[in-house]
Amino acid sequence: MKDLIKQGSRLGLIFGVVIIFLILFGLTTTLSDIIGEFVNIESRTRTGNTGGLMIIFVILGMWAGSRSTASDRSNWKASLVSGLSTSVVIALLVSALILLVGYLDSLDVSMRDYLAQLDHLSVQFLLFGRDLLGGVLWTFGIFVVSGVIGAMVSYWYEIKNVADAIQKRTIIWKGNALDSKLVKQFKEHPRSKWIGYGLLGLVVFLMPQFLGKYWNYAMGTVGIYVLMGLGLNIVVGLAGLLDLGYVAFFAIGAYTAGLLTSPAPITLQIGFWPVLILSIVFAAFAGILLGIPVLRMRGDYLAIVTLGFGEIIRVLIRSDMMAPYLGGPQGVRDIAGPSLFGLSLMSEKSYLYLIILGILLTILFTNYLQNSRVGRAWMAMREDETVAQAMGINTLYYKLMAFATGAAFAGLGGALFAARNQYTGPADHTLMVSINVLSLLIVGGMGSIPGVIIGAFVLKGLPEILRELDLYRLLVFGGLLVFMMIIRPEGIWPAPRRMMELHEDEGGGIPQEESLVGEEG
Amino acid sequence: MSDPKKKKTSSRINAFKVTQVIISILFLTFLAWRLYTVISSGVYGPDTWVRFAISGLIIGSVYAVIAIGYTLVYGILFMINFAHGEIMMLGAFSGYFVFEALKSIPVSSTGMSFLDSYQIISVILAFITGMFISAVSGYFLERIAYRPLRGAPRLIPLISAIGASIFLQNAAQVMFGPKRRTYYNPMSLARSQGWRIPIGGEEVILTYTGVLTFVLSILLLIGLYTLVMRTRYGRSMRAVAEDKQTAALMGINVDQIISNTFLISGALGGAAGVMWGIHNGIIYHYVGFIPGLKAFTAAVLGGIGNIPGAMVGGLLLGVVESVGPAALGLDFQLKDVIAFSILVLILIFRPSGIVGEVLSEEKV
Repeated sequence: MKDLIKQGSRLGLIFGVVIIFLILFGLTTTLSDIIGEFVNIESRTRTGNTGGLMIIFVILGMWAGSRSTASDRSNWKASLVSGLSTSVVIALLVSALILLVGYLDSLDVSMRDYLAQLDHLSVQFLLFGRDLLGGVLWTFGIFVVSGVIGAMVSYWYEIKNVADAIQKRTIIWKGNALDSKLVKQFKEHPRSKWIGYGLLGLVVFLMPQFLGKYWNYAMGTVGIYVLMGLGLNIVVGLAGLLDLGYVAFFAIGAYTAGLLTSPAPITLQIGFWPVLILSIVFAAFAGILLGIPVLRMRGDYLAIVTLGFGEIIRVLIRSDMMAPYLGGPQGVRDIAGPSLFGLSLMSEKSYLYLIILGILLTILFTNYLQNSRVGRAWMAMREDETVAQAMGINTLYYKLMAFATGAAFAGLGGALFAARNQYTGPADHTLMVSINVLSLLIVGGMGSIPGVIIGAFVLKGLPEILRELDLYRLLVFGGLLVFMMIIRPEGIWPAPRRMMELHEDEGGGIPQEESLVGEEG
Repeated sequence: MSDPKKKKTSSRINAFKVTQVIISILFLTFLAWRLYTVISSGVYGPDTWVRFAISGLIIGSVYAVIAIGYTLVYGILFMINFAHGEIMMLGAFSGYFVFEALKSIPVSSTGMSFLDSYQIISVILAFITGMFISAVSGYFLERIAYRPLRGAPRLIPLISAIGASIFLQNAAQVMFGPKRRTYYNPMSLARSQGWRIPIGGEEVILTYTGVLTFVLSILLLIGLYTLVMRTRYGRSMRAVAEDKQTAALMGINVDQIISNTFLISGALGGAAGVMWGIHNGIIYHYVGFIPGLKAFTAAVLGGIGNIPGAMVGGLLLGVVESVGPAALGLDFQLKDVIAFSILVLILIFRPSGIVGEVLSEEKV
């Protein structure tokens, strides 16, 4: 009994703290608006939808309650005790916060200066539009009742069994669907693969025609990130070299395109197409130049040095010293766009086509490299450098090659980016770009081309759809990275080989203390 | 291996070493020439140099305190705690809130606020709160983001750390708002006041906040060094850093030691954050990132995993960063370039740092 209460209140503490932070981040307001709109509740205060807020609190309370009974669902008394202790702790914590906030608000203390999300209106919203005591008691009641209900529901239905049953059924269903004759026939037919590719190609080809200007622009951004992701995929995913300064090559590509085509700091004004080639070449060259001294380092040192290199490039392009050559903080304006046979290709649609063409070429190139001697050498290096060297692989040469190829793709992306915006400046080349590209690789699945595309859509495309959550984009994104590393380090669509590597210890029966020791190899 | 092949390998290594030496000599000559031209041109008087050196030592001491946090964690887990700069930022915010709260409490006997009437107590309170909040955040950071990943390939905890860093930065931005805040110091710690020292006909101000920062940093560093090197607890920490498995067999609770390491490094980061706020005056959600990176540079500079190395590296980096741009006749905007160039150069030419890494070969 005592144990149950102790366990329950510990869980309640965790949930309570999480909910308090949700309130302090202001996420409750945004989420309750979305939920309220979704289920069509019309009870708004001036900041948000109180019906939505109630739904959030009830869901969280029920979730906590059902989780609290996980250890013992054998009798209803135990379930009730643990559910009650959890929900009371949560209710105490949250209503204490709301009481404090409401009290301070009634004293006319301006909390906004310190906690940006808590102005007078949102405090009223948290109190469900009632007076102080009523709002606090209301919150307390919601959490206690929903927590107990959650615990009871989980006891009655034994949620674990339900989940197991659902899983079993999906597996059976999946198996049936895959076993059916038609699917089998289709799968085994040699031309079916090409039909699939053809359909995909048709969709991609027609997509820009039907999207509006805004979405073409947004998709173009996603496309540029796909390009960079494919490049970094070679460096990190295939060759296993963690590069945190990838934005440097992007910047070199963008600035090459900018400086050579715009009239501003340097008057050269070469046309777009030769400059596109030049920016790829320059970026690849920069990759080799950086690679020569740096590549003899071990993993995490390499990460920090490349990060430092990226920062050096950013500070340099922003500095006043280089301003006469690089445009300084104002950046480079009036960058020329492409034209073909006298036809200007400056619309969002044609840029999107251009980017798609670039992606197709890089995919073909990556695919070719991946399945060749070079790709096998990279993967061997990633697995074990010493062994790779012993097998006669010139590791320095292949590392440089990976760096140069990755840099070339980033250069292409940078040139397209600069031409499309007709402007490039230091603000486009912050560390966040490197981290975004790395994250899309990780979320999508390292070393796999479809993974890169999915990752780019998730990280760059989803925020365009979820405009309301713009403020929380990076917050969620940081949390997602941590979560992903813990739950599914291989990404959404992993390369099969990498998945095997990350899960090799799961079937192998490696002794327990191994996990305590950590990696020392 | 046959003889001619052996000969070829050794000659190649020699060629590489010779090039390295030649390049470094050329580089040093260039530096010396540049230094000579700037000093002989007499743009800066002696007072300016002293001013640079003082500000460099102060900033360097803060870097050293942060760098210890990196070094402690790296020494035990062999991972870069990328979110350490954000832990420092949380400490800076906690100190700010303490000062703001104390400012609003009036004391009737003196007719001033609590902050100005009991200045020493206020500063101590700010430091204690900052260190406590940062230590707790460090502890939970390890529990949530790092502990489940122990034993995973090296890249994975690093990425998790990057994620935690982004999360904490943006959590602070969303929670506290994006605006820059000015630390409201107690009266006698006003940022413009200090001892005036005449040097070469000019007056150099040695600010009180700077002296506080420097002295406190040195005290913290000495305290930590004694803790790690002289106490029984420190011995168990070193044992875990040396070999976790054997340490566990000797009856040391490895998980406990790792948790406590994060507590200690978090507390140091928090103290550094409060010092940063008191001395530099402006804090915002991004304030921890660049100092964190610099402090990591300092840790590498001194030899990562090595506590005296981190101190030396921090002070050296601070001085070089503040004297360097002037000495080389460059823009002051470029001080970050100098800091990161040092990092790159050190890693290329002497990866084990100035003082030397405390890592055995197989861990590398």
